[in-house]
Amino acid sequence: MPVVLTVDPRSGVPIYLQVIEQVKRSVAIGVLAAGEQLPTVKQLALDLTINPNTVAKAYRELERDGVIETSPGRGSFVKSNGVKDTTKAAAMDVARDAIDGVVREAKSIGLGAEDIRSLANAAIDRWFREAE
Amino acid sequence: MSTISIENLRKTYGRYTAIDGLSVAIPEGCVFGLLGPNGAGKTTTFKCMLGLARADSGTVLYDGKPLEPSTFERIAYVPERSVLYDWMTVAEHVEMQRRAYTKFSVQRANELLAQFSIDPHKKARALSKGMRTATMVALAIAREADMLILDEPTSGLDPINQRHVLNLMINESARGATIIFSSHQIGQVERAAERIAVIDKGHLALEGAVDDLKADRKIVEGIFPDESYALNGVANDPRIARADRSGRIVRLLTTDGAPEFVNKLEAMGASGVRIVDLNLEDIFLYAVSPSDATADVVEGAGS
Repeated sequence: MPVVLTVDPRSGVPIYLQVIEQVKRSVAIGVLAAGEQLPTVKQLALDLTINPNTVAKAYRELERDGVIETSPGRGSFVKSNGVKDTTKAAAMDVARDAIDGVVREAKSIGLGAEDIRSLANAAIDRWFREAE
Repeated sequence: MSTISIENLRKTYGRYTAIDGLSVAIPEGCVFGLLGPNGAGKTTTFKCMLGLARADSGTVLYDGKPLEPSTFERIAYVPERSVLYDWMTVAEHVEMQRRAYTKFSVQRANELLAQFSIDPHKKARALSKGMRTATMVALAIAREADMLILDEPTSGLDPINQRHVLNLMINESARGATIIFSSHQIGQVERAAERIAVIDKGHLALEGAVDDLKADRKIVEGIFPDESYALNGVANDPRIARADRSGRIVRLLTTDGAPEFVNKLEAMGASGVRIVDLNLEDIFLYAVSPSDATADVVEGAGS
């Protein structure tokens, strides 16, 4: 399997959410390509030493989110219909969670919406100028 | 394949109450972790489940039926203390198990012993504590049982063999076996268990799916401008499991709705309000440590 997932069971983030985030990230950056097969539930559970039902739960949610599809007896695959949409949606999910955490932190230390917006705009300007 | 349900179990030794009305249901195919401080009643619970200790009252049901002789064919048990015979070799223990249980696989047992680097020709007395544990785990897994009851199945093992035992449990679970195990290594329970129960002084202190407990139980922490703040009933909300105040800082343990309490604390004038994730060790420690600070907060709420 080319996909390398890691989880930190000692973190306060539920393990199934960590698996979902990592699969979405792998799809977003193309490590997992359209149509590619994911490890079986049992294989991933053994690779990561985590509970098989936890992996199954993550796969069910990924299927509900339209990232993967499972065909009985064959396994789970990255969805191949409209892969562009899947990739974009996965990237948006990962980024939304990250930005949500940052905004929550900025708000908790007393910054207002306008302060946070100007910081976000400055960061966008900086990163996109450097990328060009 | 099998469900196990413990209902209202009670066990006393003289005037000492070891288990006081414990009820836990273990769904089919679940890996269930039993956590608790030393002396909480974990081993006694296992012994009552297996009829090795007679409960004062309550029931233990396997697939809805009480323990009967044929149930033992379907349950593999690894006790906390070694039950290997010192004068017998490991291979002789394998042979004894083969004679005792129809489904026991000698080939699987030998494979597992080799994975743990255990020499079958060694007498049990020559094995270290960890190797005794590994031998008992190997003998239990080779039973291909429907249910596994494992009391500290990684005790005395090095980190590599601990990980191997966890993977064996995961493999058994993927096969459909129902597993209940205890461990003081919370990190292992966090990995392998889908559901947990925390017992403390014979009582059930907490029960649930590990991922749900982590998703729902959060600390909401905030700092007030001075120490004379009132919590306006927040501490009495049923979703607040405890509230600790220390000077200007308040820490609420929420069982649900953490973002709502962020807004509430901010509306009450707190700053720096944040949500802190809890891992299973934090959740365990909160479940078994007294929340004497709560009384203080509840009083403060009315002022």
